Amino acid sequence: MTVTEVRPVARAGARMLGGLVLAAVVSVVVASTLTAEEAVPGIPMPGPLVEYGLPIVRVVLDLAAAVVVGLSLLPKLLGFDDPGSTEPVMSRARAHAVTAAWIWAITALVTIVFYTAELNPGVVPSLGMIATYVGTVGAGQGLLFSTACALAYAGIGLLAVRFGEKVPAELRIVIALFGLLPVPVTGHAVDSVWHDPIMISMELHVMGAAVWTGGLLAVAAMVAPRGDLLALALPKFSKVATISLALVSLSGLVSGLSTMALTTGVELPGDLVASEYGLLVLAKVALVALLIPLAANIRWRLMPGIAARRKSSIAAWAAMELVVMGLAYGVAVALTRAPIG
Amino acid sequence: MRRLVTVLLLACAALGLAVTPAQAHNVLTGSDPKEGARLQAAPEQVTLEFDQPVRQGFAQVTVTGPGGGRWEAAKASVSGVKVVTKLRPLGPAGDYVIGYRILSADGHPVSGKVTFALTVAGTGAASSEAPAAQPSAQAADLSAQASEAAANGGAGMAIVWVVGALVLLGGGTVVALRRAGPAPSPAPEAAERSPGHETAASPHRDAAE
Repeated sequence: MTVTEVRPVARAGARMLGGLVLAAVVSVVVASTLTAEEAVPGIPMPGPLVEYGLPIVRVVLDLAAAVVVGLSLLPKLLGFDDPGSTEPVMSRARAHAVTAAWIWAITALVTIVFYTAELNPGVVPSLGMIATYVGTVGAGQGLLFSTACALAYAGIGLLAVRFGEKVPAELRIVIALFGLLPVPVTGHAVDSVWHDPIMISMELHVMGAAVWTGGLLAVAAMVAPRGDLLALALPKFSKVATISLALVSLSGLVSGLSTMALTTGVELPGDLVASEYGLLVLAKVALVALLIPLAANIRWRLMPGIAARRKSSIAAWAAMELVVMGLAYGVAVALTRAPIG
Repeated sequence: MRRLVTVLLLACAALGLAVTPAQAHNVLTGSDPKEGARLQAAPEQVTLEFDQPVRQGFAQVTVTGPGGGRWEAAKASVSGVKVVTKLRPLGPAGDYVIGYRILSADGHPVSGKVTFALTVAGTGAASSEAPAAQPSAQAADLSAQASEAAANGGAGMAIVWVVGALVLLGGGTVVALRRAGPAPSPAPEAAERSPGHETAASPHRDAAE
């Protein structure tokens, strides 16, 4: 790759990332407006900065984590057989992954501050209040754990920037996925024997979504401009994406519906359309349904041509898919905060 | 790869157990007075009942009367699934609104209101301000919070993790720089990028020391 080629490629990648983030922010703001806590007489409510800042920062956290996961997958997708041609892409991916990990860590810490502010309306949270929040609420501890993983990733990512692929790709993937594990703790939970299975289902959901979204972004933004590498990486990613699609839809349905079913006072299926939580679940189902034809198009219509090294319109299709994924991420964040039933 | 998945699944299970001891989202299941109740005599206190234990320390309950005056006499006290708030003697007949915002067992604020009507006027007078918190109640709140935190594993583990990560991060970077010290500058494509820049620039500083 010559230097003149780098700029338009980087710009196309930035546009895809921009589309993903913009879609997520728009959808989280719209969904949060619809599900905002209603004013209660005599009770102070959090101001607009918290009401909108919290979901926006939270969705950026989720996307940054997905980007880290996706970029970590690249070495596995590209393989190590031909470092001469893959190394320019992978060295850029390693550097971007460290940046994304820092964004992940910082947004996770800011999210803790926002969660604290949400519980203490009208005041700027002090360190003591934040400590109390982390000490008492699982979400605070979970986010702190996630921050730690992001920082550890940043450290190992720096090593990888310095030493290249000698730093095992598996290690980076595991740390990134580990950092996602506590994320569902910030959402809803149910009190029943099904608590742990539902929690694991949500963890699989979060990891599947990150692998799918982050992987697609990494492949479309970093690899797609290189036809030869795309022919190598896309078939492998396609398999991963298919598994992720099945995992995400199944675990999403299981955790969404069982959380509703096990919450006192919620009637299924009526509350699917009668409650805000149910409507958000339906919105996510619709978005995933929309993703299926987009993903299928890449897999069955575009991939044969790519395998034959012909030029393809994959960048445009992937960008479209990423926008839908961004919308789904936004709804997901609103879902963690909407009252059930 | 299969081993990796197994490890992750086990970790999920471990984490699910460790971080969230069966905590769920609270739902208001009942109240005294009930929603829409019409009372002849003023109640001395209002009780809100949830399906899950309510977290200590963050519960807020107010009672707003017909003229917008406030009638709660003290801060809400939480015991298990019940949140009890003492009232001052109620005044004029009309609609009273119990507003609440509590911290759900799964860590979310849950808010809402319950409305009841007083049909026979009482003798009391409204207060325009929220009652001051009694210091003893506050202290009890804090110790209750502390014991709750201890039951949840506390922030201790989380801090250990963060400190561990920072040590790992710092140590890793130092090792990377030490090893990289005598070598010539790294691959040119790494040196151009910003994160690569830090590691590429530092060895020169090492050499200068």
